[in-house]
Amino acid sequence: MRSSANFETIAMENLRIHRLCSDKFKTTTIAVLIQQELSEEKVTKTALLPYVLQRGTTNYPTTLAFKRQLDQLYGANLFGNVFKRGERHIMQFALDFPNETYIPGTPPLLKEGIAFLGEVLFSPLLEQGRFKADYVEAEKNNLLQRIKSLQDDKIRYAAKRLTEEMCKNEPFALHAYGKEDDLDAIDASALYTYYQEVFHHCPIDLYLVGDVDLEEVTSQLQQQILSRFPSGERHAFNSQTIQPQGHDEQVVIDELDVKQGKLNIGCRTHTTINDDRYPALLLYNGILGGFAHSKLFMNVREKASLAYYCSSRLESHKGLLSIQSGIEIQHYDQALSIMKEQLSDMREGRITDQELEKTKATMINQFRERLDSAYGMIDLHHHSAVAKRKWSLPELLERIAHTSRQEIQEVAEKVTIDTIYFLRDQGGEKHATH
Amino acid sequence: MQRIEHQQVKETVYYESLENGLDVYVLPKRGFHKTYATFTTRYGSIDRSFRLPSGEKITVPDGIAHFLEHKMFEQESGEDVFQQFAIQGAAANAFTSFTRTAYLFSCTDHVKENLNTLLNYVQSPYFTDENVEKEKGIISQEIRMYDDAPDWQSYYGLIRAFYQNHPVKIDIAGTVESIQTITKETLYQCYQTFYHPSNMLLFVVGAVEPEQVFEWICENQSKKEFQPQGEIERFFPAEPDAIAKKREVINLPVGVPKCMFGFKESASALGKSGDDALKQELVTNIILEALFGSGAELYRSLYDEGLIDEQFGYDYTLEKGFAFAMIGGDTPNPDRLIERIESAIPTFVEKGLSAEEFTRIKKKKMGGALRLLNSLEWIANQFTHYRFMGTDLFRIIPLLESITLEQVHQRIQEIFEMERMAVSIVTSKTSA
Repeated sequence: MRSSANFETIAMENLRIHRLCSDKFKTTTIAVLIQQELSEEKVTKTALLPYVLQRGTTNYPTTLAFKRQLDQLYGANLFGNVFKRGERHIMQFALDFPNETYIPGTPPLLKEGIAFLGEVLFSPLLEQGRFKADYVEAEKNNLLQRIKSLQDDKIRYAAKRLTEEMCKNEPFALHAYGKEDDLDAIDASALYTYYQEVFHHCPIDLYLVGDVDLEEVTSQLQQQILSRFPSGERHAFNSQTIQPQGHDEQVVIDELDVKQGKLNIGCRTHTTINDDRYPALLLYNGILGGFAHSKLFMNVREKASLAYYCSSRLESHKGLLSIQSGIEIQHYDQALSIMKEQLSDMREGRITDQELEKTKATMINQFRERLDSAYGMIDLHHHSAVAKRKWSLPELLERIAHTSRQEIQEVAEKVTIDTIYFLRDQGGEKHATH
Repeated sequence: MQRIEHQQVKETVYYESLENGLDVYVLPKRGFHKTYATFTTRYGSIDRSFRLPSGEKITVPDGIAHFLEHKMFEQESGEDVFQQFAIQGAAANAFTSFTRTAYLFSCTDHVKENLNTLLNYVQSPYFTDENVEKEKGIISQEIRMYDDAPDWQSYYGLIRAFYQNHPVKIDIAGTVESIQTITKETLYQCYQTFYHPSNMLLFVVGAVEPEQVFEWICENQSKKEFQPQGEIERFFPAEPDAIAKKREVINLPVGVPKCMFGFKESASALGKSGDDALKQELVTNIILEALFGSGAELYRSLYDEGLIDEQFGYDYTLEKGFAFAMIGGDTPNPDRLIERIESAIPTFVEKGLSAEEFTRIKKKKMGGALRLLNSLEWIANQFTHYRFMGTDLFRIIPLLESITLEQVHQRIQEIFEMERMAVSIVTSKTSA
């Protein structure tokens, strides 16, 4: 049996490889995650870089040739994207492709897949010692369009606006796609310089998941990918330890031509993944709004019929919690007061045995289910790779199972409402804001 | 218990048809922690006119199949069934499509208890005037949410442009007005017509032993009594081959306009079932990939012109009674995009695919089909869909291998009928 349950890590300072053999997947997944700090000055360049690297390489100089090579690898999927993890900005380059044993004639997909990912990362198409200008300009336009289209999905838009208002003056207010205004100043040579800087100095985690000979593949990955990152010191970013106090229930209202109001509440929990109380924080969020048996769903939707969705979500690296719902615009006061009631019930420790037991059972299940997807496993592990406090899954599940109501209430007592955000229709009656 | 082995993909499906008519399929997945189960009825939003078991013919309010799905979660105890699933550590859900309603859960423990809960709640409806009334507020908000969702609006806009009469053009959830007329009596009528075990399929995939699962299910089902039920008679209006309108424009506040376009299939492309239907779907997807896939010349030139981005994609839907190909995404200039498409298609129809392109695309499709076998959710939902179409999910790879370039060229001639091309655009009032 070659399968293993956990990632095995080989670390060379801030360049790490995490590998896991599993025969349950029909594909092999290789992911390179590069950490950058989330900052005003870097955010847009970080957001742009993965897209430019997916346009062309020395051996596949046109995007047509590049994409067709992915098709030749039996529809290999290449992801090059960015996301936020606390105040880190993560660039992800991932490639997954079929395990060749399932393909008639067993073509050497693993070898070619690794070579291709190496090519994407280290042999971008250059002209005059910098990125090809056409590619950079086209991807700037695409990024601009991606930023503009953030307004389109109103659920996402409300979440984005809440974060912006709540974390004003903190790096976390920045969106992973960066800022429209920065785009003009970025050109092919500035971005190329930035690319070199990132590959030189940023911490890197490489993941391998599949039914493969780990030793053999590791040596190929060393050769084709890891050894090509410049050697030398890589920054270790420090997690922010002192959290700002934020606002005292500020109310922000936006108006757009919408039929449904989006009422979101942003809270600071003052507890993070780096605290020993993290399992209690997870349960706090679960009992409040993580599931269909949670307080928000039961009271806002099932009892009061005010919403189709009403839930809460946790950002565990900053300790931010947000509530989101879609409601009839004139039900603002009623919905807000029910939501606040749930927060105060949590604070008072009004949590039934049933609520606690159901949340523990469903949350433990949720974590275990993630082990059935390669990307789910990578994501779970990477949270820990970024955090100061390392939680192994067995430890975390064990702690969740044994957390008491008292511990959850202690977490609840520190939770404060920072911002109440409402997206509503235009020209409607002005709403009282207090 | 029947055992069906698919050697190439190393999967084995187990099948049994129960005395009450229920079809049960089990697919064990070694190494997985999770078990995922779906309990699905051949009943969706398009089934609005039909004959009741009593023989009476009725037409029910729009959105009732979806409404019924919401109401199945109510139980006589007054507690919704999510609570029971939560105690057993399961995540439960349900969805309604044009042709199916599926109830599902996933869990990593207590599989037997969760299977019993799934079968029991779906087989014991409990509707009251009060709980029906309560749901109207919730579903109204679900409808409002979709009213504000540009991607959904552009999708439905295109279906409305395709169909003149077929009920596929009616939103699955109905409208805020249509759901007001739903009563518990009508819900029971729909339930009694469509939720008989002989109209349903149970699929269990994941960390299970097939023998054990069949034992649990038989034990559960043998305790319940069902009167035999005949074929369900459904009524659909005649649908002409012609589209309803060429162009649908919807105004919503968007940062970037959405543009969907596509081709409605004529009645002559709707007659197939079994492998023939699946083959039609696969061949059509090869064609759409050749024209609109990320390795296509047209795709690259639209991308270079800034008319599409990497989210541009296509989808082919083939069901009994309706079928269409849909293509689209975000674009700063819908009119220019459509102009380019309209001039590119006739050239493509004439030229067809080269042998090299055909091979490349087949490889991509093979890999894609393999990758999807990692997802228990996809397997369960698609397996059920294909069973209802009279074919089998595990026929995809063998059929893909058997497709010839001649078959592709023949199909190109059928699908791209410019007369049956329609367009749906979502744009802000100001940018129109």
